[in-house]
Formats: sequence, C-alpha cells, structure tokens
Amino acid sequence: MIPVLEIFQPKSVDEICRLLKSNNGDTRIIAGGTDIIPGFHIDSPRFAGIKRLLDLQLVDELKTVSINHQIISIGAAITFSDIITNPVLNSYLPLLVKSSKTIGSTQIRNRATLGGNFINNAPCADSVAPLLVYDAEIKIKSFTSEKIMKLQDFLVKPYATRLNPDEIVTKIMVPVPSTDFVGDFYKLGRRRAVSISRISLAMLMMNEDKIIKEMRIASGAVTPIGTRLYDVEEFAKGKVCNEEAFKEIAIKLGERILAVSGLRWSSEYKIPVVQQVCYQLIKGIERRSL
Amino acid sequence: MKKQQLHNNFNVVGKPAIRQDGYSKVTGKAKYADDYRFDGELYGVMIRTKASHALIKKIDYSELNENRFIKAIITADDIPGSKKVGPIKQDQPIFCADKIVTPGDVVAMLVGEDVKELRKLTELVKIDLEELPVLDDPQKALENDSILIHPDFKTNLITHYPLRKGNVEKGFKQCDEIIEQTYTTQLIEHAYIEPECVTAIPGEGNLKVKIIGSIQNPFTTRKVVASVLGYGLNEVEIIQAELGGSFGGKDDTMNILSARAAIAALKLNRPVKIKYEREESIIESYKRHPYILKYKVGFNKDGKLKAMKIDLLADGGAYSSMSSFVTWRSVVQATGPYEIKNVHTDVRVVYTNNPYTGAMRGFGSPQPIFAIESLMDEIAVKVSKTPFEIRKLNGFKQGSLTASGQKLTGHEVTLHKVLKKAVEVSSFDSKWNDYKKASGKKEGAKQSYINDSLILNKNDFINPDQFWRKGIGLALSYRGCSLGAEGIDAAASYVSIQPDGTVYLLSGLAENGQGMKTTFSIIAAEIFGISPDKIVYLEQNTSRIPDSGPTVASRATLMGGGATKNACEELKKRLIKLLVTIWKLKSGKDLVFVNNEIILRSKKSKRIEFGELIKQAYQQGINLATVGWYAGPKVHWEEETGHGSAYFTYVYGCQVAEVTVNIGTGEVYVNNIWAVHDAGKVINILGAEGQVYGGLTQGAGYALWEKISTHNGKIRENNFDQFLIPTSKDIDAIHPYFIEGKEKYGAWGGKSLGEPTLELTAAAIANAICIATGQRFYNLPINIEEMLLRRKLYPESLTRGSTS
Amino acid sequence: MKINFTLNSQNVSIEIEPNLRLLDLLRDRFNLTGTKEGCSIGECGACTVIMNSKAVNSCLILAGQCNGAEIITIEGMESDGKLHPLQENFLKSGAIQCGFCTPGMIMSAYALLIEKKNPTDEEIKEAIAGNLCRCTGYKQIIDAVSQSAKEIKINT
Repeated sequence: MIPVLEIFQPKSVDEICRLLKSNNGDTRIIAGGTDIIPGFHIDSPRFAGIKRLLDLQLVDELKTVSINHQIISIGAAITFSDIITNPVLNSYLPLLVKSSKTIGSTQIRNRATLGGNFINNAPCADSVAPLLVYDAEIKIKSFTSEKIMKLQDFLVKPYATRLNPDEIVTKIMVPVPSTDFVGDFYKLGRRRAVSISRISLAMLMMNEDKIIKEMRIASGAVTPIGTRLYDVEEFAKGKVCNEEAFKEIAIKLGERILAVSGLRWSSEYKIPVVQQVCYQLIKGIERRSL
Repeated sequence: MKKQQLHNNFNVVGKPAIRQDGYSKVTGKAKYADDYRFDGELYGVMIRTKASHALIKKIDYSELNENRFIKAIITADDIPGSKKVGPIKQDQPIFCADKIVTPGDVVAMLVGEDVKELRKLTELVKIDLEELPVLDDPQKALENDSILIHPDFKTNLITHYPLRKGNVEKGFKQCDEIIEQTYTTQLIEHAYIEPECVTAIPGEGNLKVKIIGSIQNPFTTRKVVASVLGYGLNEVEIIQAELGGSFGGKDDTMNILSARAAIAALKLNRPVKIKYEREESIIESYKRHPYILKYKVGFNKDGKLKAMKIDLLADGGAYSSMSSFVTWRSVVQATGPYEIKNVHTDVRVVYTNNPYTGAMRGFGSPQPIFAIESLMDEIAVKVSKTPFEIRKLNGFKQGSLTASGQKLTGHEVTLHKVLKKAVEVSSFDSKWNDYKKASGKKEGAKQSYINDSLILNKNDFINPDQFWRKGIGLALSYRGCSLGAEGIDAAASYVSIQPDGTVYLLSGLAENGQGMKTTFSIIAAEIFGISPDKIVYLEQNTSRIPDSGPTVASRATLMGGGATKNACEELKKRLIKLLVTIWKLKSGKDLVFVNNEIILRSKKSKRIEFGELIKQAYQQGINLATVGWYAGPKVHWEEETGHGSAYFTYVYGCQVAEVTVNIGTGEVYVNNIWAVHDAGKVINILGAEGQVYGGLTQGAGYALWEKISTHNGKIRENNFDQFLIPTSKDIDAIHPYFIEGKEKYGAWGGKSLGEPTLELTAAAIANAICIATGQRFYNLPINIEEMLLRRKLYPESLTRGSTS
Repeated sequence: MKINFTLNSQNVSIEIEPNLRLLDLLRDRFNLTGTKEGCSIGECGACTVIMNSKAVNSCLILAGQCNGAEIITIEGMESDGKLHPLQENFLKSGAIQCGFCTPGMIMSAYALLIEKKNPTDEEIKEAIAGNLCRCTGYKQIIDAVSQSAKEIKINT
C-alpha cells in the first residue's frame, strides 16, 4: 500500500541536495517510479518508512546526453525510451541501446530510468551488464560533496548500493569505446515481450590478426547482481580466435558464474545455458568482426 | 481490411457487424462493476490466514474494538441461511468458522468507508490456529491413511466416472503393439484482466437486495445469494455489469463474493462493494484442474486402434465446485475422436489443500486432448505413418460409435473435412517431412545437451546455425455441445418490436465479452430483414427474463441463438398473418423480409416498409412481444458403465501449429497456427474469428508459459509479473478457417466455438516441438526448463528477491 | 497538495493527497472510469493513459507527480461527437471482446501513432506488448491500428 507521504518536485540538482541534506532514510528519490510504486503495492520492506519523495521529472539537467573529451555523459534520470532514440548513444553505446529495448513494455520504458535501474540493483536489471562492459563510472552528489565511482564498485549486493541517504547519482560517464570493439547483448526471458531476464550477457571483443586482444564480459540475472567477469576476460586475452578457444572461454564463464553465484534453485538450467549463450555470442561477434 | 466473407444466402448472418456494446467499450463509457458508484457505499476487505490447512481455535478482533474505520466485522455468525454453498456438493463456506482448508479461505470481512485503512487493519486481527498436515499431492489423496480435507465425506474422492466398452484386456491381447504413457497438465489461472468486483445494494419495496457485479452466471449467483440470505429467488435481483473477461472464472467466486457483500449490505443497510486486487483474485479464485493422465493403447501394425485403457486423476483442490461436471466431459471425450472397440476409462477427481479448481474454458477437455493427441503421434511413429494418416485411419465418420456407445448421427460429422482442410492450408505433409528430416540429422537432436555436470563439455556446444529448429504439429478433436447429460438444457429470449420498428432483445444468457449480444442481434436482424443497429440489447437482469441456465459450455449461440430465432419467428408469423390479410394473399410463403421492408416475391412492386407494417400491427392490437424458448433434446448417461448419448450434437476442429525451437535455451516461438473449425453455421463472423484468435492464444499460453505453482498449497505466481500470459508479440500469425457442417439444432445450425478453439492448441504445439527437437514432452507447460531438463524448477521459498 | 494539469485538453486544478495514484485521481476524483485497473504493478496496461505525449501506466504514477503534465485518457479521444479513427477501426475490425483492456490498448496505439505515421505490424505489436488482452488474441487489434494509421495518413 502506498504510504501517506509528501511529494516534492525540485527543479535542480542543488535543490535536491539541499532537500536530502539531513535525510535519515525517510526521504527517497523517485525517478520513473516503476520499482518504488509496485514495491509499495506489495508492502516491500525495501520501501518501508518512506515519508517523502523527491520527483526528478522536472530536473532537466538529469536527462541530458553529452559527449566531451571522449567521455559520454548521461543524465541519471534519462528514460529508456529516450536512450533508444538518442543518436549519440546509438552510435557509441549500441549494447546499452539494445538492452534498453528489452526492458519492460513501452509504458515502462517511458518512465523507467537508467539511474533507477542500477540504484534499485535488482539481479535482473538489464542495463547494468552493458554499462559494466563499457567501464561506466557514476557521479554522486550531496550537499557537501561530489564523488566519482566505478559502477561495479557502487553495486554491493542485490538491492543494495553504496548510495548514502543524503546523496543522488547525477550522471553516468562512459569513455567512448574503441571502434575496434565489436559487441553484443543477449537477454533470455520466458516470453518474447515484457519479461524479466533469466539470463543476460553483455560482451565486447577486440581482435587483431585472429588474436583476442581484449574481451569484456558482464552478466546479469545469472549472477546475484550485474557482474563484470574479469577472470574470464583475462583468460580470453591473447587466445587465438577459434572454436576451441571460444568454447574454453564459455566454459570458464560457466565456472566463474557458478563460483560467484553458488548453487541456486535455478543453476541447473542457467549455468549450462549461459555457457551455450556465451558461445553463441562470441561466434556472432566473430562473424561480424570479419 | 481483408475479411473472410462467408458465401451464403443470408443478408446479415455471416457478415461483419458492429458489436452491440462496441461504442461504449471504445469510448470508455461501458460500466464495469467497479465503475458503478453508489451514495453511501462501504467497502468490504477480507481477512485470511497464512495457513493451508488448520483448525481455527480463536479469532481475536479486540484490537479493532471501537476503531473508527470499521462499521462492521462480518463472519459466519452473520449468515441467516446456508453457511456453505457449492453447485453440486455444498462444501464451500462463505466465511470459514472452524477450519481452513486452503490459503484462499476467508474467515471474516471488515467493512468500512476507507478501503486503504481497512486493508491496514486486517493485520490487527489475531487468529489462533492449530496447523494440520497439508495434503498437496492428489496422488496421495486416496491412500488409506490420507488426511481428509472434509472429514464429513469420509473420503477425499469427489467423483469417480467409469466407462466400459467391449473388453479392453482381450483387445490388448489381440493387437500388435502397445504403448503406455503418462502425461501431466498444470494448474492455471483464467487471468481475466478485470479482477472480481461486486456491489450489493439494500433493496427497495419487496425486493430485499440488488447486486451489480462482474458476474458470469447471474442466475447461479441469485440462487446462491438467496440461499445464503434465506430469501426467495424473486427477492434477490442480480444485474450483470459489463464483464471484463471470465472464461468460466467468474462463477463460484463471484457467487460467494456477492453473498458476502449482500450480508454486509443488509446488516448495515448501505451499499457494500467488494473489489479484489489481482493478488487476492489469484489466491482465492478457482482455476483449471491439473491432471495426471495415464494411457495404455493397443493397435495393429497398420495403426488401427484396438483397445485403450485410460486412468485420469484430477486435482479438485479444497472444494468440489464444478469438478464433477468438468471431469464428466473428460470421461466422454478421453479417447479423442477415434473409433476404438474396447475402452476402459476411469476418471477420478479428489480433494487436496491446493487452490480449488472448477470451470475454465475447455472444461475438462484440454487435458485429455494434450494426452491423446500426443499419443496419436507416438502411434504414428510406431507404424510409420504420418500424423495425418493415423488420424484419417481412426477418426470418427458419419455413424461412428463413440466410447460411450453413442452413434454420431443427426448432424454432419465433419472430422475428416476439418482434418483435410487443416493439412492442406498449412502444407502440413511437406513441412512435416522437411522438419523431421532436419531435426533427425542434426547433432544433439535426440537429447538436450545438459548433463549432470553444470559445466559443459566442448562437444556440448551447438553450432550457431543449428540453434533454431522448426517443427509442425497437428491436433484433432470432437467436442460435445452445450451441457450434455450434465443438466437441464434450455434457454429463453425476449423480443419486443416497438411501434417505430426498432427492437428490444434480451436473453437469459450472459454477455461475457464473447459477443453474444451481437450474435443474437444478427439473428433477429436476419429474421426481420432489418439492420442490426435497429436492435437494442437490454441489460442482463435476473428479474426481467427467465432463468436460462449458465453461460458456459460454449452453449450461448446454440441455445440462446435457438431461443432468439424462435422468438423472432413467432413475431414474424404474426406479421405475416397480418400482411396476408392486408394484401389479401392466399398464404405468406412468398413474403420476404429484407432491407427493412417486406416484399412479395411474385410481385416485386408489392412492398411495405418494416416500420410501416409494425405501425399497422400496433393499430390492429397485435402483440409484438414474446419470450422464445429453446430446449435441447433428451440425452442420457449411465453413471456405472459410462454408456449413453452424452451430448445431442458435436463440433469438430483441427489445428496445426508451426514453431521454432531454440535447442540451446529451450525457448519456443510460435510462428503460425492454422485453425479449422466446424462450429456449424457461422452467424457472427467477426466474433467467430475473435474466438479463434483468442482461444488459441490462451491455448498457446497453456502450452508454453502459464503455470500456477504451489508450495504447501500456497501460490507463488500471484500477479502478472509471474503468471505469464501471451502478449501481442508471442504468436506471429493465426489463420482461421470455418467449415459449416450441416446441423439441425440451434439457429440455422450455429453451434459452439469458444472452447473448441482453445482445447487443441497445446497439443498441436507439443507435437510441433516434438518434430523440431526429436523429443516428446509429456508435461505441460513446455517451458524453458522443461525443454532442457524435463522438469520445472522453483525457488524454495515463496518470497521473491524484491520482496524480502 | 494542490496540482494543476491539463486533462483531456482542459486545465484542471485540484487539491489531492500526494499518495493518490494518477489512476485513482482519474477514476475517483474526475469520474473518468474508462481507465481500468487490472494488476496495480504496471504489467497489464489496462490503466494506460497518455502523459506528455507518451503512453504510461497510471497505476505507477502518483498524482503528486502530475503537476504541469498533459494527460489524455480514453474519454478525451472522441472529438466533437466523432470517434477517433482508432475507435472506429476497433469497432470495424472486431478488436473488442470483453473490452476491459480496450481503453488502455487504444491509448497505447494512440501514443504509437503520435510517434510513427507508418508503423509496421511489428512496431504495433511492440507498442501494445504492455497491454495484456486475454480475449482477442490481439490480431484484430493489430489490424485496427494498422488500418487507422493508413486512414490518418490519408486525412492529413
């Protein structure tokens, strides 16, 4: 049930920081509301005790996309619909766009925001894996401070991040990826639309003379939170592009995910399938790299 | 827009017509149950426990004493009449007083003005329970030492239907091959998009209470409410609000909600509304029966069926509801539409602590059809025949004997026509051969690549161009129309022509969204030769029209259509008689009612406008209102042997599904479904096509995604984020075809379509998956885990990540 | 709190509890009951309305977030007593059965037609994927939207 609360519609980040200054947890930022409102509906303890909501709709500075000195800056309150139609993101961060298209329905994408997706930090947050392979950093502001943090470091465990009650995430910053990267994003759901991810994988690969020069890979839904799989990347580096190597990388990924996630009720399905999917992704990327 | 136009000699029948309720529905003006507002209305909110099976020791409401938000706490003590109800056995309490048998059970209802506050207050009711062991496995329900859900009945068996024909053991001895197989089907939710809602309003004058709600069967609701309140049927009035989907689902639950609202409304002398949220709708409402289906079939080398032994077990859940009727349809149709000399069938339905099961579109047919149509394909493989050939060899023909010994006569048995048409329009044989070859040759085709070890071996990886496999499958059925030997089968329709030539129409059956009002209007328009927009279909109200039985069993067009036609023809007779007098004719046989006028066929200049004739009829004092009645012919059934003429007529259908399967992930994409149905005369073409599209979309959901799972009787999937029904993207294309077999009953032979469209789809999809993968799946739904692991996976706990 | 917004082309101003959902605001305070509630968690789309030219689930928006917004509901689709082409074509195509999803479905389709003049069937399917319909199997709805796009194009 939706608690009795006040709603503020601040117009700037400064105003938000002022309103959050002495927040003891009863004030929460609401962006799209596609997580908070259903959470209220089922009386989720994650949203217990909220008395005040700060709505970001009128804060235009949180919705812009710009590119400066090879850094793409994305306002944290950009909606997935706006990501999908944004020309900068389409040309530089195709995996982010592709993942955004798989999120919820049109109605959800019209409201849900990029920042909300990782601040909620559900295991199945679809935009997280692409952001991780793009080495995204985030800017966090409070009334007194401003800091920049790697997205992977920000994410702690399911539904928990390093965000303090007096802070707001204002920007996601992504270095322009090398044009030598070829990548892909894969999402497996139970249905062809509006489905929660069972497995998601984002991958970037850079080959030179049939040698894997660099591979970046991150998972969602199959790990407790969106996770960059550095061990697998290291393992892949320098391998010759052939069937053997691709299969070894996929197997390594399976082993690594099993180690990170432990045995869960869904492992019997997800662990073998994520390896299969990983192999398919690499093969597809290789085909497109030629 | 390309629309199928049926070639016939009718003017309105079979042509596209705008729905009676269309304008109000596209403008948002249509009033559904929750759109009604009444002065001074109160709300009722339910109190449930957290148990699946428990004795209620004490309920302590003391924390609610003097609470300003509460006007009343309604319990079993407030019920003046029947405290338990049910269509066959009265085993379901309106409010539980001493025992909980399933998690949907309600012990009390808080009534007040502020529904939000009431919901919060439910937490303050303290219920002292003594938990009992939970029976959640129907297979254990009939064991000697099983706990009893309703100890008064001394058994958990709700019903057992035997059927014996010939000598099945002898039959098995005489045949060349035997296959034995077990299939299972799952519990599913109707998933009408409108959750339950009803308002009870204290009556005025002699009427004790008026009820407006999302009610599928107003006359059944009236019966239940009258019995709970201890009133006569004529003291209770039920009005059906615009109904936001039902599919069999807004019957028992709505009767009980209506009774609860009525008790409170009369106690407080104010209108009381109950509106369910989706979660409580799913928790409390009944669902489709899960079945365990054991088949043993004997056949000759040529594929001719000789003997079949069938053992079906259905989980009725905590209450009997319609279980006895649902499973009766199963015993009639369990062999499928095939001639078999020796049949031995047992169908049992039992009580458990699971959510209770009752009527849902299909009504005991989707389960056996999944089994028998899978089995037919297995038989075909054994005797090296195609799915088409095996069905052609064994399928019912004109005059065939069914398993219950009924001779199929009096209507055209179009089974072979629908089969042939479906195979032709889908290019079934060539695709079936191609896909079968492709799947047979490919690596990994026979089995999933998943082994015990979670980590793959290098040779487990599938080549990307072999990831996706195509398959095609078909399923065939016959279906008894209307209630059959389940009950008395008759319906009424009221038609009244107004002085200006416009018409009122109302039948005793209910519009559940299927388009019945439009279909009946088309029938009336055809007979009077007027345009359907001259007809106003009246509000469904139990006080205004005779009880016509429930709107179930795909019987509305057949029975209500028959009644409407009878009523209109009676009035037409009176008009013809008048015109014969006015025009001084010898007889009326040359009079044609068409295009808003009546024309003398032999002398085209002789014509009169319909409205003008009506004016004259009024001037002559002719009664232009009547109630038409249509009763089905007698059918009979012998309970001990399963012999009898189960239904007075049947319909036939065949569907072909074409799918693409991802053998790496287990995903199934439904590409095409061809649906060929003989529903008799098609009266409302847009409605008929809509039934096909909608029915088989539900059938596809049943095949692949939909499942309500329980843990100790408690439901996991309690909203649409977990209970996944098909979206607009899940089926690529659907191709409907109609064959109009000859039929003497109903309006021009218009029969049944709603359920036939749904019952075949899961079986056709399962057969298509088998062709794509080379593997047969025995357990619905064939979801991604079933595809790769041959079982379902569930989290141990009911709480989900986001809620914990 | 007091909010001002545009509702079906009218400027409105109303005193509200901030925790009221937009859905409840429309149904209970403005008596616009064409917008339906089916799941309360943004999965079924029966409550879809247009907010600032985009389709949104009104069950997921608080009234307190609507200040200054432009909202269109199903009741705002008819103009001068004339049905919108989408409404006309829903009737002609047989795109309605129980009708409970219809208002939300029409609003999602309307938002699509604001954005795309020539939607393909795939784009139509995507646009209404967030609107569950249990009756129709979607086919006649897709036909109705497609036909409407064609008619609107001819008339503009």
